[in-house]
Amino acid sequence: MKRFGSCLYRNYNYTLSKRYVSMSKEFEIKSEILAYQNNLFDKEQKRQREAVGRIEKITVNYNGPPENVVLSMNKGISTPYHCAKHISEMLIKRSGLALIDGIHLWDMHRPLESDCEINFMHAQYLPDPYHFNRAYWRSCSLILGAVITKAFREDILPTLHSFPSPNVKSGSFVYDVELSNLPEWSPSDNELRILSANMVKLAQKSYQFDRLPVSEELALDIFQDNKFKKEQIPNIVQQSVDKKVILYRIGDHIDISRGPMLGNTDLLGRCTIAAVHRLETKDGNLYRFQGVSLPKNIMLNHFAYSILEQRAKKINAARLPDQYLNDLNDTFVPQFVAEETIA
Amino acid sequence: MNQAEISQLVSKLRIRINPRHKNLKNPEGPQGRLKKLRKTLTALFKYERLELNYTLADETRGYAERLISEAIRHGDTHKATMEMADYWIEEKQLIHKLFKVLAPRFSDYKTSYTMLYRAPKAYPDIVYPRSIIELRGNPFPPILSQKLDQRNFIHNVLLEEAKKAYRAEKYEQITKSLGEQPKVEVSDK
Repeated sequence: MKRFGSCLYRNYNYTLSKRYVSMSKEFEIKSEILAYQNNLFDKEQKRQREAVGRIEKITVNYNGPPENVVLSMNKGISTPYHCAKHISEMLIKRSGLALIDGIHLWDMHRPLESDCEINFMHAQYLPDPYHFNRAYWRSCSLILGAVITKAFREDILPTLHSFPSPNVKSGSFVYDVELSNLPEWSPSDNELRILSANMVKLAQKSYQFDRLPVSEELALDIFQDNKFKKEQIPNIVQQSVDKKVILYRIGDHIDISRGPMLGNTDLLGRCTIAAVHRLETKDGNLYRFQGVSLPKNIMLNHFAYSILEQRAKKINAARLPDQYLNDLNDTFVPQFVAEETIA
Repeated sequence: MNQAEISQLVSKLRIRINPRHKNLKNPEGPQGRLKKLRKTLTALFKYERLELNYTLADETRGYAERLISEAIRHGDTHKATMEMADYWIEEKQLIHKLFKVLAPRFSDYKTSYTMLYRAPKAYPDIVYPRSIIELRGNPFPPILSQKLDQRNFIHNVLLEEAKKAYRAEKYEQITKSLGEQPKVEVSDK
């Protein structure tokens, strides 16, 4: 029975590849652009690591299960992930986000900067996993972006635009994408299913979310092939406090987001890409990809999940890219703050 | 004597009362049953939480409730209540506990004064159903684990919003259909 099922799936994949969705072989091919971007990213990451210089020690307090500990970590090098590694495997597996001094939301792979008290957030964090949920939704959008860039055939040229600020209550996470050679596309159920499967496949590769703040010039260099991001970067820099653009990388996919993101893609559990809607905007025709997903530790029966899937099919009411316009300048300005804190 | 006066005679308990007492099979007969109950009741007031066979716990519960409610209602100056407490409580210092500790503790309660839980049976050793009886407000850790507040977990947030969206849709349909109905009636006439 199982074997029969897998055959069917392969069959689907084959027939669909004739239409729009690429086969798994093409999925793995790194294009030249990707290699160039990743090279720049690696170099900058290495440079920043070397710039730390003389290693200083900081004290990190952790109060919570399984035990209260005081850790002596390296300033500018050690991350919350390293702290979790010192404490317990359970913390490594379930934590998606760190809370520093009870105020600052901190990525799992972002180096700590001073003495602090650390806490780890997960899907069942009490009293309220609100911030984890937001980070989760944001990370889902980023993973969706990674899937979209790779899932289509070469000649369709998907260009990522952006994703709105995460709102779990809207019922779906979103990525707005331009598909140059697909002016009129409404995806079939099987195409959506393949996108969903690609989401899960990518997540299961357990990619870390690498966080890297970079200068405007470097960001422009990395995104020189993306006309939308090139436009957005100057505005992001204007809004940020330290004139930096924050990049995230999963595997070889690089994207801009203010974060914070999860620590690892393997926290993504069930996932469905529910619908793709066409949007008419100032930047041309964009496609709004929508999906719904639950973290790995959250169990839900299939009926309740199908309700969520149905809801995710309706067009997400998040603002369209051209509705971000403010009165002063008429270019796209994503919401961008240097650091997210608990208000 | 009319109904209202009967309810004044005996205080109303906040637990379900069995229509018939349990015999609590005993070699000494009914006397042995009372002896057993007195012993258990004393222990309950002393330790505040006991693990017993279900039948005995259930039977004791009624007596404990009645004794506490009488103590709250009449206080320690009421002769009949004091005699009753003296009969049921074997260790006499616990009579002071009943009137000076338990009666004030439970005087504001709107619920029953005791709790009865089912306890697991150690199959195949003990075949009789076990249970735990306790006085409320005891100093021990709670028997049932406290429920997590799961409202803000991501699936519950999503389901809650899906429910709201569904209702909004339905209300819209209803208002639409209400707007259409009068027109139909007019055309019929």
